[in-house]
Amino acid sequence: MPAAAAQRLERWAARWARRRQGVDPLAVVLKRRRIYILPTAFGATFGTMVFTMLLGSLNYGASLGFALTFLLAGLGLVVMHHCHNNLLGARLKFVGAAPVFAQQVAEFRIAVENESATRRYEIELAYERHSSAPVDVPAGGSETTRVAVPTRRRGWATLDRFAVQTRHPGRLFRAWTWVHMDARCLVYPRPAPPGRPLPQSSGTGATGRQTHGDSDFTGLRSAVPGDPPQHIAWKAYARSEVLLLKQFAGGDSEPCMLDWDSLPELDGETRLSQLTRWCLDAAAESRPFGLRLPGCTLALGTGEAQLRACLEALALYPA
Amino acid sequence: MTMGRGIDNPDTERLLWVGAIVLAASVPHLLSVPPWIPAFLLGAIALRIATALRGWRVPGRPLRLLLAFAAFCGVLARYRTINGIEAGGALLVVMMALKFLESRNHRDQLVLIMLSYFLMFASVLTERSPFTIVYCVILVWLTTVALLHLGRTGRIVDGRATAKLAARLLLQSAPIMVLLFLLFPRLPGPLWAVQMDAASATSGLGEEMSPGDIASLKLSDAVAFRVEFDGRPPGARDLYWRGPVLSSFNGRTWRMPAPRRAAPESSVEYLGDAFDYRVMLEPTGHGWAFALDIPKSWSGPRHLRMNGEYQLGLSFAGPPLPRYDYRATSHTRYFAREPLSEPQRRALTRLPPGSSPRTRTLVSSWLADDPSPRRLVERAMDYLRSQPFYYTLTPRTLHDQPVDEFLFDTREGFCEHYASAFAVMMRAAGLPARVVTGYQGAELNRLSNYYIVRQSDAHAWTEVWLEDDGWVRVDPVTAVSAGRVSQSAWRTSFGDAAPTGGRASVRIPWLGDARLVLDAGYFYWNSWVMGYGPEVQSALLDQLGLGGTPGGRSSTLLLLVVAVTITASIVLSLYLAWLYRRKFGVDAAARQFAAFGRRLARVRVLPCRPSEGPRAYAARAQRLLPYAAAEIEAIVTLYLRARYEPDADSSALAELRARVATFAPARG
Repeated sequence: MPAAAAQRLERWAARWARRRQGVDPLAVVLKRRRIYILPTAFGATFGTMVFTMLLGSLNYGASLGFALTFLLAGLGLVVMHHCHNNLLGARLKFVGAAPVFAQQVAEFRIAVENESATRRYEIELAYERHSSAPVDVPAGGSETTRVAVPTRRRGWATLDRFAVQTRHPGRLFRAWTWVHMDARCLVYPRPAPPGRPLPQSSGTGATGRQTHGDSDFTGLRSAVPGDPPQHIAWKAYARSEVLLLKQFAGGDSEPCMLDWDSLPELDGETRLSQLTRWCLDAAAESRPFGLRLPGCTLALGTGEAQLRACLEALALYPA
Repeated sequence: MTMGRGIDNPDTERLLWVGAIVLAASVPHLLSVPPWIPAFLLGAIALRIATALRGWRVPGRPLRLLLAFAAFCGVLARYRTINGIEAGGALLVVMMALKFLESRNHRDQLVLIMLSYFLMFASVLTERSPFTIVYCVILVWLTTVALLHLGRTGRIVDGRATAKLAARLLLQSAPIMVLLFLLFPRLPGPLWAVQMDAASATSGLGEEMSPGDIASLKLSDAVAFRVEFDGRPPGARDLYWRGPVLSSFNGRTWRMPAPRRAAPESSVEYLGDAFDYRVMLEPTGHGWAFALDIPKSWSGPRHLRMNGEYQLGLSFAGPPLPRYDYRATSHTRYFAREPLSEPQRRALTRLPPGSSPRTRTLVSSWLADDPSPRRLVERAMDYLRSQPFYYTLTPRTLHDQPVDEFLFDTREGFCEHYASAFAVMMRAAGLPARVVTGYQGAELNRLSNYYIVRQSDAHAWTEVWLEDDGWVRVDPVTAVSAGRVSQSAWRTSFGDAAPTGGRASVRIPWLGDARLVLDAGYFYWNSWVMGYGPEVQSALLDQLGLGGTPGGRSSTLLLLVVAVTITASIVLSLYLAWLYRRKFGVDAAARQFAAFGRRLARVRVLPCRPSEGPRAYAARAQRLLPYAAAEIEAIVTLYLRARYEPDADSSALAELRARVATFAPARG
């Protein structure tokens, strides 16, 4: 219950900040007026301890006790100032976001640039309750970090709000600001589960060939849910922790046209999912493929660029 | 989460830091706690580090709880309380050891670092030695370094930069500390009653004395208190600092009277010059304070009062605060004409039956010659003067009849022997008499004009009650002729009045001077830093023109300052807000647009989403409220103009305001 209340309060504060600050450009310098700062739970405990020490000093009339108490109180204030300064004047720039499939996590790359003469420590970007690993930005340098936003539906995912925060000296305070950038990430439809074979021909009546054409290795592409596990490049995964799919040139490469109208039994979104799956399959088999959607047709083609063009068309197909 | 092993592991690195800080912060406490506590702490730290390095198992939760309970009982058994600085400190050390044992994440480690600050605080409450202070300063810095290290995620890197940053943070907090230290109001007394631990302080005087039992008196150079006279100080022979009065005698031992009486009503008549002085008392094991003879008035901690024997003290039964300062006014000449009730007189002349038969016989012979009490006192002093009495710090021990053996056989001893024997002689004559303990003399520190009274100045003398004069001080030691003071007692209990008149400084002059310089430094440290209490504070504020009595000038001034500050800040912020709004009128437009949004929300148009621009929002509203489309369009256009292309006369804003005010959509 308190957590829920805190969340509501935070949402309210964020809305207030949105009204107050307006929408930011894609590169923004953090000014004094928009940096907020509050003690962390640890900071509050620290404050309580200092207060207890004050009571103790008063009671025992101990001068050295007072001295230590006031030194720590001063330390708290100075730390607050340093924490605030750690963000002040930092520059945030939206670098880009690689397209993802729906229900994957979109990663918005944000560069933190430090034009001041001192190093900035432990800067994190946070979306909702998830924060990135903190980065240090050397004086005059720049570090890119990512804001992870879970996606739900195809189309444009927006990074409507994220927080830049730091707790640097000693975690006593959290200084933060909300940034509202009009940053977007393209979200492809979620691929349908594999299984439905590619349409056999593009109207020429070709004979069905069941080969998956795994004779010649042609390259790697990033894996998506539903890709055949036997084609995942596990060794590469062990090296880099990125799931890649091995692609092979098939023995045959008969072109296929992926047509919206060939799937009349499916509803709109499911149809888009299936077409996405087919696009991926065709690209995996290195077959030339094209896409036909109502009001938009992409001619036959191969390769990464063709795949991207098709997926984009599917992502942005009007609902 | 699996715990990585090895010294290079970041978790281990953090753990070593925390362990080192906890251990270092505990050191001042470890000297005074029972030995099992350091062992417990070291064991816990070693075990926890071993789990990190060697993969040992941390004791399970039931065992840890059991340990916590056992440790708690151990502390309770040793101190009989968990209150007070010593017991609290010991308990804190024990609990930190357990917390360290079970620490598993960064938060635990940060909490331990914070508790280390608290542990240091507990040690500075009682410790005053400059060494401890230097140690604490270094430790505060190291603890801050640890706080910065542990406050970061990931590895501990960049040690030098962190150490520098910690130093910078502390140096920047120093002015705040000084300001608060000087100006934060101090209380004249404690907030709650505290029990000091009796064993914690040094003591020069006891609650009882048995002269015959001591074969060798070791004099301690430790400082008992320091005194600063406002004007001319009294002569060295008048420097009798009154301490506990022992009036209950069992034939061997003098004790403080059991039922302690309240101060007698102003029965003292003061004569001659008054002396004003300030006493800075070192911690004692008791609640006593020392004043020059019978003080006339005093001020200091709230509970400072006088008991029935004219002794000052905070508490005569229980031990008090570690150190305190007070002021007093005394006269060296007075008549303490206190009427004695019959039970009091009987108590003050009581000798155990069968004790000191030879003394009684001697005194009876004097009484037969001349029954006058004054004459009797003189006869007794004459006896000490004429017989071969020696002053020595290494007397022979006395057996069954200590007073008789001293007066007739051994004839050697120090102040206690003389005071005790003299009081017994008086009592044998039926005169009320008692032994007063305290200090005699003082060493002047010529560097800064204050007096040092050391434990070696401890002294005992006698008070005799005479019908006309009341209590009269008699110091029987002065009857011993200078030639009979043993060489081993060249530093005697009677300070400057001593026959040899010397101290260590006489022997090694430069060493004595160095000692005085050190003591002067310590004196200033004590009187301005350690002794910075309510009195010094108000004196300082007075000098700055900020002082005064509460409710008087100072409160008015303070109130005025506060009122002016508050008013000034309100006016300033209003002015800044006005400036801001004039410069950036955009907020006014945004507010109007928000009001517009609220009106739309009333007719169930969902509010503008963060990702939605004003145009998109308007389009959505127009779709839902087609009949109001034109009005919505107009308002959005005005808003965008007022906000993003503000013109000089802000006509767009005015029109926007008017339109929003009249905008009243109905549910479509």
